[in-house]
Amino acid sequence: MKIGIPREVHPGERRVAATPQTVRELRSLGFDVYVESNAGRWARYSDDAYAGAGATIIEDTAALWSSTDLILKVRQPEHNEALDRHEVDLLPEGGRLISLIFPGQNQDVVQRLAARKASVIALDCIPRISRAQKMDVLSSMSNISGYRAIIEASHHFGSFFGGQITAAGKTRPARVLVIGAGVAGLSAIAAARGLGAEVRAFDTRAAAREQVQSLGATFLELDFEEDGEGAGGYGKQMSAAFIEAEMALFAAQCEEVDIVVTTALIPNKPSPLLITKAMVESMKPGSVIVDLAAERGGNCEVTVADKTVEVSDVTIIGYTDLTSRLATHASEFFGNNLIHLLDDMGGGDNFKIDLEDEAVRGALVLLDGESMWPPPPRTAPAAAPVKPPPVEPPDDPPIPTGSDASKVSRERNLRRPLLSLVAACVLAGLGLFADGPFLQHFTVFVLSCFVGWQVIWSVTPALHTPLMAVTNAISGIIIVGGILQSARGAVDLASILGLIAIVMASINVFGGFLVTQRMLKMFHK
Amino acid sequence: MDSLPTLVSAAYLGAAVLFILSLGGLSSQETARRGNVYGMAGMAVALLAVLASTSIGGASPAYLPMVAAVVVGGALGAVAAARVAMTSMPQLVAALHSFVGLAAVLVGVSTYLHPSHAAGGSEVVALLEIYADVCLGAITFTGSVVAWGKLQGTISGKSVLIPGRHVVNAAMVLAIVGLAVPFVGDGMVTASGDAPGLIWLLAMAVLAAVLGIHAVLAIGGADMPVVVSLLNSYSGWTAAAAGFMLSNDLLIVTGALVGSSGAILSYIMCEAMNRSIWSVVLGGFGTSTQASSTPAPSAGQPGEVQPVDVDQLAGVLKEAKEVVVVPGYGMAVAQAQHLVKDFGALMRERGATLRFAIHPVAGRLPGHMNVLLAEAGVPYDIVLEMDEINDDLRRTDVVLVIGANDIVNPGALDDESSPIYGMPVLHVWESGTVVVLKRGMATGYAGVGNPLFYKSNTRMLFGDAKDSMSALVAALRST
Repeated sequence: MKIGIPREVHPGERRVAATPQTVRELRSLGFDVYVESNAGRWARYSDDAYAGAGATIIEDTAALWSSTDLILKVRQPEHNEALDRHEVDLLPEGGRLISLIFPGQNQDVVQRLAARKASVIALDCIPRISRAQKMDVLSSMSNISGYRAIIEASHHFGSFFGGQITAAGKTRPARVLVIGAGVAGLSAIAAARGLGAEVRAFDTRAAAREQVQSLGATFLELDFEEDGEGAGGYGKQMSAAFIEAEMALFAAQCEEVDIVVTTALIPNKPSPLLITKAMVESMKPGSVIVDLAAERGGNCEVTVADKTVEVSDVTIIGYTDLTSRLATHASEFFGNNLIHLLDDMGGGDNFKIDLEDEAVRGALVLLDGESMWPPPPRTAPAAAPVKPPPVEPPDDPPIPTGSDASKVSRERNLRRPLLSLVAACVLAGLGLFADGPFLQHFTVFVLSCFVGWQVIWSVTPALHTPLMAVTNAISGIIIVGGILQSARGAVDLASILGLIAIVMASINVFGGFLVTQRMLKMFHK
Repeated sequence: MDSLPTLVSAAYLGAAVLFILSLGGLSSQETARRGNVYGMAGMAVALLAVLASTSIGGASPAYLPMVAAVVVGGALGAVAAARVAMTSMPQLVAALHSFVGLAAVLVGVSTYLHPSHAAGGSEVVALLEIYADVCLGAITFTGSVVAWGKLQGTISGKSVLIPGRHVVNAAMVLAIVGLAVPFVGDGMVTASGDAPGLIWLLAMAVLAAVLGIHAVLAIGGADMPVVVSLLNSYSGWTAAAAGFMLSNDLLIVTGALVGSSGAILSYIMCEAMNRSIWSVVLGGFGTSTQASSTPAPSAGQPGEVQPVDVDQLAGVLKEAKEVVVVPGYGMAVAQAQHLVKDFGALMRERGATLRFAIHPVAGRLPGHMNVLLAEAGVPYDIVLEMDEINDDLRRTDVVLVIGANDIVNPGALDDESSPIYGMPVLHVWESGTVVVLKRGMATGYAGVGNPLFYKSNTRMLFGDAKDSMSALVAALRST
């Protein structure tokens, strides 16, 4: 099966859908690879390198499109100025295309492709399930743009990120606010931390807190109960009251911080406005805002897509090509995502668009010209919404416990049948020798033990002392024995012993409950 | 009233359910108080039911002495509950265990002398039930008394190990089992009131009492949380045995609940100390074993202890953003919890994040530190369990260890020769600076030297925890 890698025609697009390394891997998956001349030029991959990896270099763009079975691209097809032809028209009738499509926004392209009876997989529609993580170009590209956002910010920021103490003076670390702790946000946090900045981050999803904190940033919180976890690990739109509280927080933060990175995107909606012009004006001169949502309208009121603008001495960066600005690695990640997808689809020899494959089905836009998008809704929520980007591993690796654990489980494996055997013998013995009433009581006893076992495990460790006190109190139930023994009213030893037992047990009952109450009253938030 | 027996049974069932709800309520701080109310309601239902049941069959029970006994006992209990200092909770709990044990022995002997309930079934089973009840009761009673003494300080916390104690224990257990034979052989009390087996029953009770004393004497101070939990469990099983003896399902259910509760607590405590339950039960642990009692770290150079004074510490804390306090038994002994709370509030006012890290076996009772901090008014949501906070310690600027030792001992992780090797500990040394508040260089209850004190990022603040904390709070306030 022949794969074609065309040169990207979008102005400023430097990425390419395959690198020499991924060409090698495509070939080992059983594909023949054809690469348009100069396809990797701007990602610093030469034609020679591709040829060295076993690709055939094709000079003629139209020939590349028409002679291959599957086109791998970065951007959705668009008008090729050099040929004055739309790329869709270069695709042969019934051809196959895998690239970013954004079918929601690019209906015209999808319709043109449908007219060509094409089969199209949109990389942006790969579902966010854990199995498809390795094919998810949006994640890998977000990771890059988050990092690059910080690099761009530092370029326009006239100060250090990390605090410095030198003979020439002392500077405090830059304060960075990251709004939205998705893949891009987390990557920005990691990059800013790496440069030594003090980072704070905000996200509407409660799940983000741990990830933010794990990167050493402060998680900003609203005094407000609402979780913004939407489908597929993206944020959802929040209530008006929430947004008001959120805006107040941003306004306060803007006065403090030097760098703001906004990454708030809601699927198929214009991006929410988070930073107003007034907030921008309240920032310190020299501050920088990087708006990663610029392509969809921007999170900042004064953002201009693809431009850097200055408003009252604050630089607002609205680049939409941040990944292209890191084209070498971006192409590598993009290419690797494609390798994983194609491997999943059966490789070159068994290539198949499998409608049962959840990852492929989710991303399939057209099958032989038939519209397949949007896919039927999945009901199960994504378990792991956003994986943090790859960060430096922590300094000390976790203590390996694997061998211990397996030893324990082996011991348990031995113990379990042994215990069952003992239990069986005990039960058989009881059945043979015990009398009826005893067995009845024994049944109650064993069932109660199980109930107790279940109930007690749910007790929070912080309340173990009150637990002991309350069990003290209820084990005073032995008072029942005392009462039964002394109720006759006779003046004999049995009754007197019973009465003493009542005194003892009452101490427990009253003492236990009262001291428990005293303790529990003390616990407060 | 023909329906009375069934009504009583229904009431027992209700009481049992209320007890279960009561324990279930303790699953969170929000529901705990409601749980306690359920427990009280259950007890009230049970008492009314059993009092009503004594009139079954037209008997006219003598209520007055019983009510008087409840009033006397109740008053004693109420006074104890109102007076006890939270630092003395372990003693109170141990004392309450002993009362259950003693009550069980008394009820057992009484039942033997006057087997009134006569629920049918074989005599041998009935006799064995009495025997088991008295035996468990006696062990619980004396064991708890010794535990109380150790916790109170009346009896030395060090473990008392007589030579060949395992043999002695085994012999006593065998004798207890053996005495059952003549006891059962002599049979029940005769119609004329002779109690031929009483002598055997009492002899066994004495043996069991000695066994209880010996077993707990052999257990060292650091294992006290396990011992108290175990005795908690015993007191439950004792109540269950009494239930068998009296053919009373409510006693059986309640006893089983309490028994499992204690068993689970013991298990949790053992896990937290990396001990097997047997090594604790058989005694001899939690003591300075063999040669490891030398306080110097066993491997490597002893290193230098770096003392710090209150003003220096206040300076360090002023810069800190993340602070964790690890309280131990020393905080309880010094009664420093209120000052620790003030310190926490002060740090939070200054904008630092301050949290508390609680090791499962900190203190002498499961959950003891939580109660002390709650008493001082520390909000429970900043008091975290070891597992919740251990990973955060490496991002913490300052850890303040107040009167804790073994639970922050890095030797438990890497020194295989250490007696506490394998015990999960709080990784305080991973933080920026560890400050240990300690009276002197003495070892903890486990008698093990602590390499933490010699680490380069450790500072020692010597002195009584209460004095140190009050000086520290003053120093922080003044700046």
